[in-house]
Amino acid sequence: MSTIELPAPAARDADHFVSTDPFDPASATQLTPEQERFYLASQWKLMWWKFKLHRVAVVSGIVLLLMYGSTLVTEILAPYNLQTRNTDFIYASPQRVHLFHDQHFVGPFVYAQKKALDMDTLRREYTEDRSQPHPLRFFCYGDPYRFWGMIDMSVHVVCPAPGSTLFLLGTDRLGRDVLSRILYGARISLTIGLLGIAISFALGLVIGGLAGYYGGWVDMTVQRIIEVIRSFPELPLWMALSAVLPVTWSPILIYFGITAILAMLDWTGLARAVRSKLLALREEDYTTAARLMGAKPSRIIGRHLLPGFMSHLIASATLSIPGMILGETALSFLGIGLRPPITSWGVLLNEAQNINVVALYPWLMLPVVPVIVVILAFNFFGDGLRDAADPYR
Amino acid sequence: MLQYVVKRVLLMIPTMIAISIIVFTIIQLPPGNYLESYIAELQAQGESVDPQKIAFLREYYGLDKPLVEQYLRWAAGMLRGDFGYSFEFNMPVTKVVGDRMFLTIIVSFVTILFTWAVAFPIGIYSATHQYSWGDYGLSFLGFLGIAIPNFMLALVIMYVANVVFGTSIGGLMSPEYIGKPWSWDKVKSVLEHSWIPVVVIGTSGTAGMIRRLRANLLDELQKAYVVTARAKGLPPRKVLRKYPLRMALNFFISDIGSLLPHIISGAEITAVVLSLPTTGPMLLNALKSQDMYLAGSFLMFLAFLIVVGVLVSDLALVALDPRIRLQGGVAR
Amino acid sequence: MNALIVRTAALLALLPLLAGPAVGAEEPPNIAAAVAAGQLPPLTARLPRVPLVFEAPRSDWTLGRYGGEVRTLMAKDRDIRMMVVYGYSRLVGYDEQLRLTPDILEKVDNVDSRIFTLHLRPGHKWSDGKPFTAEDFRYYWDDVAHNKDLSPFGLPQALLVNGHAPKFEVLNETTVRFTWQEPNPMFLPALAAPSPLYIYRPAHYLRQFHAHYAGVEKANALAVEAGSRSWAGLHQKKDEQFRFDNPDLPTLEPWKNTTPLPSTRFVLERNPYFHRVDSTGRQLPYIDRIIVGITDDKLIPAKAGAGDVDLQVRYLRFDNYTFLKQSEKRNQYHVRLWEKALGSQIALYPNLNAEDAEWRKLMRDVRFRRALSLGINRHEVNEVVYFGLGRESSNTILQRSALFRPEFRAAWTKFDVKAANALLDSIGLTRRDAAGLRLLPDGRPMELVIDTSGESTEETDVLELIRDSWRQLGIAMFSRPSQREVFRKRVFSGKSMMSVWSGLSNGIPTPDMSPGELAPTTQEQLQWPMWGQYYEQNRKGGEAPTSPDVVELVKLFEEWRNSGSADEREKIWLRMLTINANEVYTIGIVTRALQPVVVRDNLRNVPVEGIYSWDPGAYFGMYHPDTFWIDTAGRR
Repeated sequence: MSTIELPAPAARDADHFVSTDPFDPASATQLTPEQERFYLASQWKLMWWKFKLHRVAVVSGIVLLLMYGSTLVTEILAPYNLQTRNTDFIYASPQRVHLFHDQHFVGPFVYAQKKALDMDTLRREYTEDRSQPHPLRFFCYGDPYRFWGMIDMSVHVVCPAPGSTLFLLGTDRLGRDVLSRILYGARISLTIGLLGIAISFALGLVIGGLAGYYGGWVDMTVQRIIEVIRSFPELPLWMALSAVLPVTWSPILIYFGITAILAMLDWTGLARAVRSKLLALREEDYTTAARLMGAKPSRIIGRHLLPGFMSHLIASATLSIPGMILGETALSFLGIGLRPPITSWGVLLNEAQNINVVALYPWLMLPVVPVIVVILAFNFFGDGLRDAADPYR
Repeated sequence: MLQYVVKRVLLMIPTMIAISIIVFTIIQLPPGNYLESYIAELQAQGESVDPQKIAFLREYYGLDKPLVEQYLRWAAGMLRGDFGYSFEFNMPVTKVVGDRMFLTIIVSFVTILFTWAVAFPIGIYSATHQYSWGDYGLSFLGFLGIAIPNFMLALVIMYVANVVFGTSIGGLMSPEYIGKPWSWDKVKSVLEHSWIPVVVIGTSGTAGMIRRLRANLLDELQKAYVVTARAKGLPPRKVLRKYPLRMALNFFISDIGSLLPHIISGAEITAVVLSLPTTGPMLLNALKSQDMYLAGSFLMFLAFLIVVGVLVSDLALVALDPRIRLQGGVAR
Repeated sequence: MNALIVRTAALLALLPLLAGPAVGAEEPPNIAAAVAAGQLPPLTARLPRVPLVFEAPRSDWTLGRYGGEVRTLMAKDRDIRMMVVYGYSRLVGYDEQLRLTPDILEKVDNVDSRIFTLHLRPGHKWSDGKPFTAEDFRYYWDDVAHNKDLSPFGLPQALLVNGHAPKFEVLNETTVRFTWQEPNPMFLPALAAPSPLYIYRPAHYLRQFHAHYAGVEKANALAVEAGSRSWAGLHQKKDEQFRFDNPDLPTLEPWKNTTPLPSTRFVLERNPYFHRVDSTGRQLPYIDRIIVGITDDKLIPAKAGAGDVDLQVRYLRFDNYTFLKQSEKRNQYHVRLWEKALGSQIALYPNLNAEDAEWRKLMRDVRFRRALSLGINRHEVNEVVYFGLGRESSNTILQRSALFRPEFRAAWTKFDVKAANALLDSIGLTRRDAAGLRLLPDGRPMELVIDTSGESTEETDVLELIRDSWRQLGIAMFSRPSQREVFRKRVFSGKSMMSVWSGLSNGIPTPDMSPGELAPTTQEQLQWPMWGQYYEQNRKGGEAPTSPDVVELVKLFEEWRNSGSADEREKIWLRMLTINANEVYTIGIVTRALQPVVVRDNLRNVPVEGIYSWDPGAYFGMYHPDTFWIDTAGRR
């Protein structure tokens, strides 16, 4: 394209500035490298960058990863097996880890606990026997177990000195180590949340999707159903449904039953979100285009509409997991959820739910700490995800 | 507008019918019935019951009739205002519920006020100072409230209150005021006791509300008119107050729909732990012992309350927010 | 002469005391005003002409002073019936030596345990001042027990002997007689039970609800107004003497419930017409008022520890002891430990009527049961769960019963894994699988599932401990928590192979009490529900017992029911106890479990050491709460 001659500058000063440089269309769109990266980045990359801004969310994500990771290697992490009990150390208070004995550095160790029976108050009293340090062993051989049910191993990250005890968080009424029980309980409590979410996600997606896409009477019915479910006070519904589970089922089946029940009451929020988004998005031009080109509804929903707000859904789902975990603890409290011999945080908390524990053995309430941590982590993580889910804001 | 209202009210009817069927089914699902639970419980305590009497009661209460007939009898009764008979208390359901309803409403009402009072400032601060440490810190506190299981928190607070303040354990007032007429001392005692359930239930509701308020407010703050106002030089607080806050206030009305069931059911566990004379423990006991009419009628009543609450909040929202009316739909 | 005057004067001065206990005694202060105002008759008119004079039962018992109220806690409105249990005003009752003595009745003539002549106290009145006479018995007999609407299913079981009803006669205003063809030794114990057989009603009050007296239309109208379906329903509702839920219903108990249901606080006021007096002639009870608060059962130990009660035993468990002891001084109460009367705190019940053929065969094999019993480390259970304070034992009666023999307690309770394994081998269970579990004859590994009602952590803990020691026998044990009704159904139908529950409920029997727990007499017995059902339903349900020893037990029970002599009854009891100890039909673990009792420092006459038993004993009933009193002056 030939250069165009501009008229000569006027005699008097112009009111505005006009560049005399030749006009080159390609020059207008020169991008800096960062800008180029930004505009060319995929949706997920954009989300990740926005997510990183939320520092606490990142930290929470790491915490969650660690916790879920720990459930894979619980047997190795826990100092004792789930069933191990030591009837000589019932209701033992937590042992402190010391580093210095008699002003010498010895490395991490604990003192043995001396037990005294107070026959007046019928209480077992434990005092530290400061005469001899019992150093902790690391990567040692302790209680034998079957790793993932297949391999016989007995490696533990930390064990007590031979003949000694390591009760970092104390013991319960049968002399079982609280820390080990919390670690094993994580398996059940954490996975209930995930499983429940998976079921509720699937339900919400399908039902909400159908309602949003087809509209009309499908939409009406689904809305009524949702309204009915939401109108129920949760607790009585949980109670009633749990009472339905046949008590002859094995603990595993009951566990699945409970997750299914928790999920069945949870999908409504997700379904409403899906429905409203779909109602909006199906009016978009690209949907019409797809439909005119002969795409099936399932393809339209799955390939065109959903990716538009999948990130929102994931964020919502993540934020529902804490509700599931708390639901499990609430059901255990009411005595209708999981029960011993299954060990979950809810079961542990339920066993700690009496005045004896609050007044005399408060360390049995420690399972509430991982519950709080997980719920906080999920909340912040979900918040970060949701903020990041719409990166074009 | 009128058409909308009428349509919504009419739609309530099939909803309530569906709920009643579900409630009835659920109550009947656990094996056995009230009499069997009753006998089992007596047995467990070493007492025995005369089989003649049991047979008499079974026939008298109609527990030997087919289920469909029991349902129809109950449903028809409810329409007439007869909520049935409680086996456990040997008197009509309305008499059993009576007083407790009043106290439940008071506790719930105060809890909702508490939740609003806490969530509102935190939500606004969080939205206007996104990603600051203040935002994180306050959100943390809010989430903490939701993270600690209610029952544990209630028990610990109650024990501490007893040891530190000498507040008597459990109940909504000290035992000597029960059944007595209202006096200044009684009111003081109620206030002394009620802060525990209000705090326990309220803290678990604030987190959700904070988050929703924050999200809504953030949405508004991104809108073009706010940018325009700021660009035109309006001081930030005035900007906040005049426009987005109004939108956020709508939110309080609309949020009752999600807050109400939470308050009512969240209150139940706490009420059980603290032994409050509210409807929560009564309902749970009725469900456990399969006191059919008491549990069923009360569940229906709760569901009805919630449906009406949602309806009122939806209608209020429609009335307050002209955008919804003009666009012809409720955006959430 | 002076001496004579002095002596006569002294005699005259002492005369009032000699003349009779009712003369010159003080009125309880809280009704003295009403008596003075004429709203209540004076003491002599309120008491029966021959009241029951209560003598000191123990050395630490003292005469009391009037006044005060006692607070206690319960968990449900229904628990108000416990006040009828504690009040323990019965036609005949057990004293602290477990002897049956007349209480409301002045005298009982018992011929052969067949003919019972009951003598009421003349002048005895109901709590509303109306006379208590034979008419109240007749009303029950004619208008309640034999009324088609009120008792469509006939007389209560306790009144029937082999299905035959007695003959009832009113001899005069204060005497009635029941006559059976065959001996009915269960009659008096049924009248003395904590939940007694009521063979009388307050006729003057109930007549207004009865169609026969008020007319069918009027009675039905009353019923409709009150929300009942028919006059029979209303009559039934108003008539619940044991439930104690009708404040208008007159009673004979020491305190009367004045608060209608539902409530979170029940107030029981003194019954001004109560028939007992102390040895100085003052009318009992000493305490004016009982306050029963209703609160969540988990909170009751907490509230007791906080000093909210004056007397509490129900809903307190052994593991609350330490917590309660801690707050003793601060809240001015002290905790006592009473012995529970259970034969064994927790017992295992092999189901001899199990559905599964293999397991049933094993359960019926005495060697198997003995092996299981030998395989339990009772010492460990005692140390861990009961702080070493219990006593290792089989499920048998307690030491303080006269029928006790040490060999009953020790039978098959030694922890001996070798002997247990030898027994199992001798049955033929010698095949084992790869994990070391024994195999049943049909090849299945021995996985014993024990059903629990899922309510007590104590049961779960004990089972945990047993699981390990049974593993050494080659038996894998699983516990299956359930719900009470489902649990019972499973056991009754045979679906459950073994269950766990508390042991013998009456651990302190005398030969005159029923040995029904030792033989299959009711479906409720978890070790042989169908054999029990067979007996209970008169051969119309369940299965007939087949094991020869069990058949003998049933025969012995029948002999006891028909026996005339105390010697014979004792022999029968001993024989039944011996069979049970040898055959190990139920496996006991630890006995002499302890029950904490919270007593306020100034509450007197509550025994320091007592036995906590439902029947006999009625928990507090046997110790006469009407003689408890509050010492506002003295210190502990």
